[in-house]
Amino acid sequence: MTSKVKPAPVDVVIVGLGANGGTAAKVLSEAGLKVVGLERGPWLKNDKHYSGDELKFVNRNYMWPDSKLTPRTVRRSETEVAEPYPFSMTPQLVGGGTNHWAGWVPRPRESDFMLRTLHGDVDGASLADWPFRYDHLEPYLTKIEWEFGVSGIAGADKTEPFRSKPYPSMPLPPTRWGKKFYDACNKMGINAFPIPHASVTNGHKDRNPFNRTSFWNQYGDPSGARSNTATTFIPEAIATGNFELRSEAFVREVVVGKDGKATGVIYVDEDGAEIQQDAKVVILTLGAIESARLMLMSKSSKFPEGIANSSGLVGKNATFHEYLFAIGFFDKDIDDPVYGWAGNYISGGTMDFYETDESRGYIGGSITASSQTCHPINMVFPGRPLWGQALKDSDRTFFSHAMKIGLILHDLPQEANRVDLDPNVKDYMGLPVARITHKAHANDVAMGKWQVDKNVEILEMAGARKTIPVYLDQMTGNTCHQHGTARMGFDPAKSVLNEWCQSHDVENLFVLDGSGFPTATGVNPTLTMMANAWRCSDYIADYYLKGREMRLEQPK
Amino acid sequence: MSSKADWKTILEPVNPDSNEPLFFTKHEWETVEAIAARIIPTDHDPGAKEARAVVFIDRYLSGISYIFASADGSGFLEIDGKHAHSWRARISDLQKIYREGLLVVDEVSKSTYSKKFVALDNDSQDAVLVKVSSQPKPGAVNLGTTEPATTFFQFVSDDGLPFWPAICLHVKQGFYADPVYGGNKNHMGWKVIGFDGPESLKDTMDGTYTTADKFTGDYNWGDLIPVLANQSNFPVPVKSEGLYN
Repeated sequence: MTSKVKPAPVDVVIVGLGANGGTAAKVLSEAGLKVVGLERGPWLKNDKHYSGDELKFVNRNYMWPDSKLTPRTVRRSETEVAEPYPFSMTPQLVGGGTNHWAGWVPRPRESDFMLRTLHGDVDGASLADWPFRYDHLEPYLTKIEWEFGVSGIAGADKTEPFRSKPYPSMPLPPTRWGKKFYDACNKMGINAFPIPHASVTNGHKDRNPFNRTSFWNQYGDPSGARSNTATTFIPEAIATGNFELRSEAFVREVVVGKDGKATGVIYVDEDGAEIQQDAKVVILTLGAIESARLMLMSKSSKFPEGIANSSGLVGKNATFHEYLFAIGFFDKDIDDPVYGWAGNYISGGTMDFYETDESRGYIGGSITASSQTCHPINMVFPGRPLWGQALKDSDRTFFSHAMKIGLILHDLPQEANRVDLDPNVKDYMGLPVARITHKAHANDVAMGKWQVDKNVEILEMAGARKTIPVYLDQMTGNTCHQHGTARMGFDPAKSVLNEWCQSHDVENLFVLDGSGFPTATGVNPTLTMMANAWRCSDYIADYYLKGREMRLEQPK
Repeated sequence: MSSKADWKTILEPVNPDSNEPLFFTKHEWETVEAIAARIIPTDHDPGAKEARAVVFIDRYLSGISYIFASADGSGFLEIDGKHAHSWRARISDLQKIYREGLLVVDEVSKSTYSKKFVALDNDSQDAVLVKVSSQPKPGAVNLGTTEPATTFFQFVSDDGLPFWPAICLHVKQGFYADPVYGGNKNHMGWKVIGFDGPESLKDTMDGTYTTADKFTGDYNWGDLIPVLANQSNFPVPVKSEGLYN
């Protein structure tokens, strides 16, 4: 192993430079702190590395982790041996999931922060309130919308809680299939609106948006249209002169000192050299699966079960969402084409089915949105014939005559659903991989059924002449949404992190991704995560590193 | 070892008219071409044979030089480091799966019709493929029905696929992938289904290629979103103005 000079200690080391690491890098370096960011993947450049190559981005996983190098394993219960499966394989590179994402960034709702207060104990679930409320987060939601770049129409979603500012950019016009969705919703009395998008259509903050190629979900954007921390927050952090980015740096341990505080992290660089980076504060932003894995791998005499894990809860209560949907086909001989392959992946959507209505047989609800059926190789078409004349005929007939309405399933937390270290399978570094144990709750299945059936109703109102509803059986990890593996709370026996996502056990360790979410919410989580990462980064800069402390009161 | 960010561009776009195999034997090439012609048959529109799916598959299986086109489609990325190891292992597995799978196709042909697969007529070839796949031949998709399914993974790699689903996936890729990879000759596959794709990958990087005409031109946000009329906190837009292409 090569040895290299130990780098100088810094104020903050951030592990993982995706949505949340990028946010922390910006906020902390702009506050004047010396920050090093370590990212295990490469630093790809949007204008050099990205284009509309379906085979490369969707089938051959150019941007996604190679599951031969960094596998994951999945099982449904304690008694099974977990099998390798590419579960929730969020891209691991500078910018993380903000490279490939469609970029839906709806705001969470007030109810998302208080599910246990609203519903009490639900059988088989481990509901918990968040240690803060929507009002605490609102200023930060607005900061992300304006600083990162989000398009939408303020006031169009009648269920949205208070917002302090409108959006900095208008949405793209509706797609043809999006128009079908609006028209059907208006006939049914449903409030449809453009789903807020992490993208700009104007020159906001000197951006240069031009991408209307329809190569959207799963593709990197070569233009400045879509918001990606690799093209926004990270360059802004670098411009302060206080932030150093090291890509291809794989962190394998958070080191604990004699005083019980973290001293820094050990990483392996591109040349295989092992390097220790010391810092006053360690921030983990690897995503809820990999952050939990790193905490569990960071064993010491003080923390034999993994750092910051005196509660035994690291990795538990994992929630993942699942993308469920229904497809609608139109008649090529009679109906105009809706061009399901075109557009910015999502168009109109609704939050009308979000709040609990117990007559539906479940609690909670999900965001609903019309969306693309994607490109020729990977057209989203369950039951697409595998081969023969039937394949050719159905592609020719339905490629431009299909649309989709989908939802983000708000799955309930269960303590047994968790991330731990696989005892058998190792990654290319020889380190144990993350093992997912997950079984859907009856509430998840019931919610999926009702909401998918509602999508079918909307499709039929839109004139679809055939529908394909896709229900939940078990989670496949088909979103990159990961939460709950180090839940926040006030009680150190029942949570891993406090209300600032600061470890109860290790005061200078913060986990600023979705790991802290006590419950999953029913919206795409990135806006909430980034707003929370900003909020907690402010606490680190304004309080923790100034030797001050502030505690929130338990919300009522 | 270089980072993925620094992989060099090598080679040129694959010539779809090539008849020179890099991986297959001549007989394997002919068999794959014949199977591809049954997976996406030729009718009043061209099929996988004319689109040169066989060239696409041969280049893919030939090693790790034709895995990722460069972003602008001028050539291919030279995969390096740990990724080169994993792709070599992946391709080596697929080579074995194809060699063995093609032998099985000929064995079934000979035991059923006493001829190799390439010598059979279309119906007999289909009968052999039904046996190889152990499933009935897929039937037409009809309107007027609701057909439930359960959730599945969003992206489709070929890791772990047996021969039949692998070749079906690869033929579809060879029909619809960007022509730089050797298939979809002259965008033939795209034209069959009415996909107005980009002339070149480069056109997707600089705004040359746009699908703006596939959006709705005639709309008014106030009509689409009636609740806008009931709120007074924020301005009510008519259209999205000042948009890029």
